[in-house]
Amino acid sequence: MKILIVDDFSTMRRIIKNLLRDLGFTNTVEADDGTTALPILQGGTIDFLVTDWNMPGMTGIELLRAVRADEKLKSIPVLMVTAEAKRDQIIAAAQAGVNGYVVKPFTAVALKEKIEKIFERIDAAK
Amino acid sequence: MSNVLGSGLVEFESLVKDGAVELLNHIEVGDFSGAIKIIQELSEARHNSFYNEVGCLTRSLHDAIRDFQIDSMDLVVGEDGHDSATKITDASDRLNYVIETTSAAANKTMDMVDSSVPVASELQNQARELRKDWSRLIQRDLTPQEFRDLYKRIDVFLSYADESATTLHSNLNTILLEQGYQDLTGQVIARVNDLIRDVEDKLVHLVAVAGRVDSISGIKHQEKKSEHDDTRGHGPAINKQNNPEVLNSQDEVDDLLSSLGF
Repeated sequence: MKILIVDDFSTMRRIIKNLLRDLGFTNTVEADDGTTALPILQGGTIDFLVTDWNMPGMTGIELLRAVRADEKLKSIPVLMVTAEAKRDQIIAAAQAGVNGYVVKPFTAVALKEKIEKIFERIDAAK
Repeated sequence: MSNVLGSGLVEFESLVKDGAVELLNHIEVGDFSGAIKIIQELSEARHNSFYNEVGCLTRSLHDAIRDFQIDSMDLVVGEDGHDSATKITDASDRLNYVIETTSAAANKTMDMVDSSVPVASELQNQARELRKDWSRLIQRDLTPQEFRDLYKRIDVFLSYADESATTLHSNLNTILLEQGYQDLTGQVIARVNDLIRDVEDKLVHLVAVAGRVDSISGIKHQEKKSEHDDTRGHGPAINKQNNPEVLNSQDEVDDLLSSLGF
């Protein structure tokens, strides 16, 4: 299971990376915004995407839409981890096909819960 | 300042009122040339009043602009004599310092965590291994050779435990000290905050004066309403409690998502 972490702040990427490692996901790659994330995704080895919303260049919601619009990438589960907490934004993310939404600041438990829930749903759909 | 600007107009208003009464008196007695004279006087007073008002406004507008430029953007001549830096660029440097300091502190803290986790894990592993043999010892289930091994291993473990505790202690101390960034960045942000408030006051003053100029000159501006685009994001929400559009917690986000069928 290879996970791509997209956030413009390296400290946040590091925090998420460490939390994922504690959850047993040791294979992670990083990108600092949507523009750098897309080529990595198109490389075809990513199984799971964790992305921030507010980033320079291409934002997380734009990345999510780009992923869902791409025939090869559209089934990748996407977890949004972001400080954006406006009702309209969460609705927009849901409509764009996000699989989970975690608001910053978050806890290790919240992150774990959302990731597990996403996998449960994927397994149930199989 | 509104009093200064308004006084001319108030004077003019009472002049019009008095003039109107006088005008009526003249007309009632049929003195039309007197009436015309009053109308002329009123017309002149109107001109003068507007002339004064525009003069006052021009002066305060000029003052407001000057204050704004001098007080807010004035050159900060640093010790090194660089006078290209304005307070605004200085503020921007300060905020960059906040970003750098918080980032450095976060990384240092995570470095310490990264180097502590394996120490704690190793301590745990060794203790668990020893405990197995220790309980066999209690049950008198050890061969003399195993006992001699355990004897040595306990000694090694104790010195490792001592060493590890020292390492962990020092790492924790480093983490503690690293939290000093809050103080440093807090001070910097407080200063920048002061500057912003200062600039805002000056701007409000400038806008107020400009607004009066508009009202006298009859200039109308088209107002553009700018809506922030959700796609670009807003950053962390401040004053969440007062904004019904912003959700307060992960629970509320989960509730919203489940109401959408998640």
